[in-house]
Amino acid sequence: MTIAHDFEYVLPRTLEDAIDVLGRPGAQVLAGGTDVVPWLRDDLIEPALLVDIKAIPGLGEITIDDSRISLGALVTFADLIASPVVAAHAPLLAEMASQVASTGVRNRATVVGNVCSAVPSLDAGPALMVYDAQVEVVGPDGDRLVPLGEWFVGPRTTRLRAGEVCTGVTLVLPPVDHAGAFLKLARYSGEDLAQANLAVVVTEDRNYRLAFGAVAPVPLRARSIEVLLAGRELEDSLVEEAAQLVADEISPITDIRATASYRSHMCRVMLRRGLRAARDRLAGTGPPYGTHVI
Amino acid sequence: MRHDIEMKLNGERLSVEVHPREVLLDVLRTQLGVKSPKVGCERGDCGACTVLLDGRSVRSCLVLAVETDGHELTTLEGIEHDGLTDVQEALIEHSSFQCGFCAPGIVVAAAELVTRTPHPTPEEVREAIAGNLCRCTGYEAIVDAVVAATRAPAHSGGET
Amino acid sequence: MNELHHVGSRAPRIDGRDKVSGAAEFVDDIEFGPDLLHAAVVESAHAHARIVDIDTSVAEAMPGVVKVVTGRDFPFTFGLYMKDRYVFAQQTVRFVGEQVAAVVARDPVAARRAAEAVSVTYEMLPAVLDPDDALDENATLIHPELGEYPHVPWFFPHGGTNVAHWRKTRKGDVEAGFAEADVVLEDTYRVPRYAHCAIEPHVVVAKQDHAGRLTVWSASQSPYIQRDLFAEALAPIGLTHHDIRVITPYVGGGFGGKAGVTMEIIGAALATAVRGHPVKLRWSREQEFYNTYQRQGLVATIKVGARSDGTITALGHEMHWDAGAYVEYGANVVNAAGLSATGPYRIPNVSIDSLCIYTNLPPGGPYRGFGYSEFHFGLESHMTRLALELGIDPVEFRRINAITEGDELPYGAEMNPSGLVEAIDRTAEAIDWGTTEASGDPRKRIGKGFALFWKAPAMPPNASSASFLKFNEDGSINITVSGMELGQGYLTAMAQIAGEVLAVPPSKIRVETPDTDRNPYEWQTVASHITWSCGNAVHSAAVEARERIIDTVHAARGYEEGTLYLEDEMVKCETDPDFELLLSDFVVSGLEMEDGTWRGGPIVGSGSFMPDFASAQSDPQTSQGGHPNVHYTVGAAGVVLEIDIETGKMKVLRAALAVDVGKAINPTTVEGQIVGGMLQGLATVLYEDMRFDAEGRLLNPNFTDYKIPTSLDTPEMVIPIIVEVPQPDGPFGARGVGEHTMIPAAPMIANAVADATGLRVTSMPITAEKVAMALLEPV
Repeated sequence: MTIAHDFEYVLPRTLEDAIDVLGRPGAQVLAGGTDVVPWLRDDLIEPALLVDIKAIPGLGEITIDDSRISLGALVTFADLIASPVVAAHAPLLAEMASQVASTGVRNRATVVGNVCSAVPSLDAGPALMVYDAQVEVVGPDGDRLVPLGEWFVGPRTTRLRAGEVCTGVTLVLPPVDHAGAFLKLARYSGEDLAQANLAVVVTEDRNYRLAFGAVAPVPLRARSIEVLLAGRELEDSLVEEAAQLVADEISPITDIRATASYRSHMCRVMLRRGLRAARDRLAGTGPPYGTHVI
Repeated sequence: MRHDIEMKLNGERLSVEVHPREVLLDVLRTQLGVKSPKVGCERGDCGACTVLLDGRSVRSCLVLAVETDGHELTTLEGIEHDGLTDVQEALIEHSSFQCGFCAPGIVVAAAELVTRTPHPTPEEVREAIAGNLCRCTGYEAIVDAVVAATRAPAHSGGET
Repeated sequence: MNELHHVGSRAPRIDGRDKVSGAAEFVDDIEFGPDLLHAAVVESAHAHARIVDIDTSVAEAMPGVVKVVTGRDFPFTFGLYMKDRYVFAQQTVRFVGEQVAAVVARDPVAARRAAEAVSVTYEMLPAVLDPDDALDENATLIHPELGEYPHVPWFFPHGGTNVAHWRKTRKGDVEAGFAEADVVLEDTYRVPRYAHCAIEPHVVVAKQDHAGRLTVWSASQSPYIQRDLFAEALAPIGLTHHDIRVITPYVGGGFGGKAGVTMEIIGAALATAVRGHPVKLRWSREQEFYNTYQRQGLVATIKVGARSDGTITALGHEMHWDAGAYVEYGANVVNAAGLSATGPYRIPNVSIDSLCIYTNLPPGGPYRGFGYSEFHFGLESHMTRLALELGIDPVEFRRINAITEGDELPYGAEMNPSGLVEAIDRTAEAIDWGTTEASGDPRKRIGKGFALFWKAPAMPPNASSASFLKFNEDGSINITVSGMELGQGYLTAMAQIAGEVLAVPPSKIRVETPDTDRNPYEWQTVASHITWSCGNAVHSAAVEARERIIDTVHAARGYEEGTLYLEDEMVKCETDPDFELLLSDFVVSGLEMEDGTWRGGPIVGSGSFMPDFASAQSDPQTSQGGHPNVHYTVGAAGVVLEIDIETGKMKVLRAALAVDVGKAINPTTVEGQIVGGMLQGLATVLYEDMRFDAEGRLLNPNFTDYKIPTSLDTPEMVIPIIVEVPQPDGPFGARGVGEHTMIPAAPMIANAVADATGLRVTSMPITAEKVAMALLEPV
């Protein structure tokens, strides 16, 4: 089925030009297009104007500055997998990216696009949240930073306002050594959407960060569990205690991909396995990044 | 409004007039007569429409043709422009495909893999074609052929 | 038989180069020029409703629209075995997505938008979505006209109910059989609907020229059936077989989904409404899921009794099929299962009831396995359970009861030669049956599962095949047939059969895809019968050509016919070792005599094949007396399965499948069927499942949520095992194998899950979620 909806297309060469045209009614940003094109085909969106941001300089870069990693709006999942910066400082992101779709989509789909599409099953959400990511937004009234925890409003809804464009996302690395794990529960080993996902970070000083996805309308940090674990070693009994708190954090639904009860059960399993994998990786004894922990 | 776009398609510079809503897959097939990318699902799930955009595999059903202005496209026709590749010959020798509808997409995906990883492991081949659905073969004979065609010379001596 | 040179070889597929290079042309690749029009269909939004009004006025006024048609324009029925399907819905719609009207326009966008602008007013009728609800005596009748539909003589519709066909098979005395059993086990098994998921969607292009001729290009398994059904359905507007031509180039997978006629009838009808223009109708992936055929759902209640020595004494098998809104093809699936639902066992007392039940879901129909995949899930689960209750090893239990040549089939005829016991033994060996394996990971268990399978082609008794063969100047050969290369390797097999007879390598033989004007008749490419049936036709065409070659050489060179033979593309003579004559020297030109005259001429051959022993006539109450099935292909499969008991995730560590193909014309392509069919079968048990909402709407008509396995979802190892006990009436002893390889996958997995965890799952699919959640429940 072809796209039947008519729209204009522009390719601004500067961010200023982009902001300018995004002020027109019915403007919609286009980056990788892997969500936008199917939505157009299904008449889920009916923009008057597509603003392709791929010609804006500087948005395709992954940079590190001290403890901050910035991902430009055009950084793809394939870029995360190939990035030496990511491999050296936040391999969790590459572990996440390698579980997103498949090569032909990862070559095109952008991390920021995933964050802007804000479908509940997005994989980038939890992985960025455990790095206290902030979304960089530029609009006619200037720049602003939105913490990722506040960014998601609901399924396919974010804090992005009309006329704005998201130019990147910035992660803050923990001040001490850390390791992580990204666990994606899916029906298939190959390309599939998450039934649930979990990002875990363990730091050398035994702080823990946990974020779940696909088990609530938006990705969420499991703060009560983080508080419980803070500063403590992962004894089996503590892990079990943490697993008991999972139900308080998540609010899964039953849909075509899984029942709420399987999601709940698996979030506990993933928490146990994810915490141990991240801890072992920090100790240098864990499964290599890229090894599926579930 | 229609756009005149210029692209390099399989080594040839050409221009074509497209409407913004036209996806690359349809423009390739209906305007340019390039038939190897197939229409399978039109939502990026099956990989039958895989082509290389600036050397990277993409789903041509998820790319608007207007986005390819100034870019380089390679389809299966371009990959075999100077004769079938070693991977293709191995796929023939192994009788790897059955109905063959997914074959162009898989050959393109394998071509991208081999460019970056000249001697892939079976696992790397599986990962590279994981977005290309095939209902017939169970994939084994495809993976075997790609591995056989790209085996590092040190390991291929004496084997047939 | 002399040593074989081409049959049995691992010759590369003769279509390999076409496909790997992208040269293979599929229907959607054919150019039709600027005159091509595009069609879009207006679909029913309801599972069951009366059409009150269709307003096409807005659509007709839209730019680019050439024609809008509705059921008023084509008030015709069609169907393969029963005429219960409509070109367009008439007064009633019977499933969500059914075609109500269609728009033909200059471009696909105009067609889509105009179709959306057609307004249909419905009056809702109660929808029946469950086959057991449909059996209720107060259930809404989905086809009140059922009693009037024409159908084949071996169907038994129950007019005034929702039972479109009821196949009863009775042998021996079932109650006495259960009475003499030491253990009787009864349970019910559920199998949902499944989708074929060929990667190429259905597509049809049709054109009726101004001389009246209708040409249809279609992605089909059945060019001749299509011509026949088009002629039948469109007879009221004056079309006959003579007027219709069906062309079927390469097809991108079928699996039964492109058998018979589904959406192609719409294209054919539309072409008659816009004479002179080719019209293209291409199904979207969504339509591919909900408006072609689906594999029917099944609720099967199985009761089996056995003596303590392991001998099965009786089987009762009642199958309720969720056959959907139209059963013109699906009722024969029900029929096939009803004749064979004993599985490959020697059982003296049998009672089978197979009920084809209308529901307001999309039409059921043929799907690789044709009913056997469905009933084997319950049956082979049940056989393992019964063996364990008897305290007998499940593989040994199967050896004890395995059907062998000459045993009486459920409908009374004799079983054909079969290597079932060899298949059992070799499969058991391949998976080290009898030894237990443990995982190094405490969260994982390893279990083994075993299952047998059998299947016969389900065909009219006079289903037939034909072939033409001609030599070219260089000694190469072109063969025309009308079977379809669905991917199974049919073209290569035909080339190997002809090549064997004529001593020509398959690489020098082209086997052309069908065009009903030029290629001779073939019933259709279904039922795993094509190697056997069309192979026989090609064999006889090759034999006829060989006779002409021998005649020519005899006439021109004087050698006795009985001393001449073909070898290495030459004619040779047993009594004159120095005589060698290249085929290319004379198969077109003929041979010159000393006086300058010529003998011979272009060598051609023709052959046809129809079994002369099959009969569909039998007692409707017992199915005794006929010979409905030409032969059964049998085999065994086993699996070593690892299960993570927390997540439920399963990994096939090793799977083996042994199948008695009679003779592997090409072992590589047979192995391709085993590996590919195994994965398709595993997909139905581990992953796939069609989900409908309470209104009968399909919830997952896409590869996002009805996914098929990727290259990362395959078994770690598949061991294909070829057994060869010749089929006496098959070409070089061959019988079919295409469908069989997916049949045992589901029960094999169910049995392995039970072996590993003690959990017996009686409904498909057996997903990770289902296993994990069941294991969580307190025992």
